Amino acid sequence: MFITKEQESMLEGEQGYTISKLMQLIIKIGEANGAERLIPIKSAQIAGVSYLTVGDAIFSFFHDLLQDNVKVKVPSWLNPAGMDLKQTKSMGIDKKFAEKQLKIIDNYVRLGIEPTLTCTPYLVGNAPAFGEHIAWSESSAVSMANSYYGARTNREGGPSSLASAITGLTAEYGLHVDENRLPHISIEVNTELESLSDFAGLGYWFGKNFGGRIPLFTGIKRLSIEEAKNLAAAMAAAGSVALYHVMGVTPEKDLYSDSKNLEKIEFTTEEKNDFYNQFNDSDGSIELVTVGCPHASVKEISSINKKLKNKRLKKNVKLWIFTSRQVIENTNNQDLINNLRRIKGVSIFSDTCMVVSPSIRNKFHYIATNSAKAAFYLMKNKDTHVICKPLDKIIEDVVE
Amino acid sequence: MKIIKVRTIVDGHVRGKVLVSKASISFLGGVDGKTGTIIDPENELYKLSIKNKILVFPEGIGSTVGSYVIYALKVNNVAPLAMIVNYAETILIAGAILANIPLVDKPSLDLLSLVKNNDTIEIDTKNNLIKVF
Repeated sequence: MFITKEQESMLEGEQGYTISKLMQLIIKIGEANGAERLIPIKSAQIAGVSYLTVGDAIFSFFHDLLQDNVKVKVPSWLNPAGMDLKQTKSMGIDKKFAEKQLKIIDNYVRLGIEPTLTCTPYLVGNAPAFGEHIAWSESSAVSMANSYYGARTNREGGPSSLASAITGLTAEYGLHVDENRLPHISIEVNTELESLSDFAGLGYWFGKNFGGRIPLFTGIKRLSIEEAKNLAAAMAAAGSVALYHVMGVTPEKDLYSDSKNLEKIEFTTEEKNDFYNQFNDSDGSIELVTVGCPHASVKEISSINKKLKNKRLKKNVKLWIFTSRQVIENTNNQDLINNLRRIKGVSIFSDTCMVVSPSIRNKFHYIATNSAKAAFYLMKNKDTHVICKPLDKIIEDVVE
Repeated sequence: MKIIKVRTIVDGHVRGKVLVSKASISFLGGVDGKTGTIIDPENELYKLSIKNKILVFPEGIGSTVGSYVIYALKVNNVAPLAMIVNYAETILIAGAILANIPLVDKPSLDLLSLVKNNDTIEIDTKNNLIKVF
């Protein structure tokens, strides 16, 4: 790999042992993937935050980083943690977990990373620009950055995104390179996509059947940010797909316009129904409705508010909405948030989600969601029965 | 003795006893970072310690947080002596670099069927080779 004089000095340890280690990490991962040089990044989004997933292993690493007093070089944000920092009691988080979780976040903050604790940085003012190289790690955020915004990132791991944040560099391979962003297969959508879960269904079906390939979808005329993120999240969870194109809609038109020779596959009502049938593992009982994987936008929350107007949730049913703290605390959203919170059974949490928090697993056994990604992960627990369907229909089932 | 070519990811010259897993390893949830014990009941090495062994397996899988588990193994003095894999992906590369554990991949022969537990291997990354005794 070609490295500049400055990069070499970082590698040789002139800026400390930790920087040298992190440079080695980026270079070796790059070399293993055929990269020829390092490129500067504009931002980093860092996973490895929830104590449920990182455990105690991360503390020894923080110890070394902080000893060398390193700081991030580019704007860097954290992925969701294992709990809402201000609602640990109502989430049923135990004291030890809460202490460890706060310690992890505190360590990241000391490195100069903003504790946004969201998988949707683009919904809170941190959208990447077209063509920008970045190092993001949460799989749906990675796909949104690549697909919806036309920025460039591989699906980084927790350690590699952190190394890139601190050095300001990543290796040029994979999705940083034009030729690796070309579509592999054309998917003609021949059914109406009406709800967010319909988009999630399309993503899930593609990920499951064609994982690892880049699709070009045709027949989708518009794509809201909410639709785009549900499509992205499902595809990434089911098939590690980090980039998709939508003909005439997503921004990399130059890369997908010449698509005549692509293999063509149809997505019809049959495939859509098959998707819903896979997530119908329940006799209809629902204890918990969960929304916000990826984190809900203001628009999604206000649509829930409208659907619940003058209604109440059936006894013993809870509705948990996950979003970012920025959305909950934004002064413009206070009426909305307070309205919803007044409804018995409704909670709105930030900083965490149903996938990375211990608050749902083993506590609720009948869960309904409109997110295919959430359904995919919740179903991994054998005692959990999961329904995935359009939110309108779920709400009809749980209100009176 | 057999000499096998490998690709070097993290340098080192070590000699030790082998522990082989035919299945890929998820360090997160698969290995206890405190004790160095394999805790995945599905793995053939379940309950065995990887401390000071040359761990031979296909590749790393699962959460990228697995890199931090590899690092914790080192800090807790229960790390493997070295790792030999078919393909070194990001989780292993990051973990092995942070923890300074010799790591090689792409052996020129199918090592997984060639070696068994307690065989002796010498890794010589200077010459990009391993010796199986």
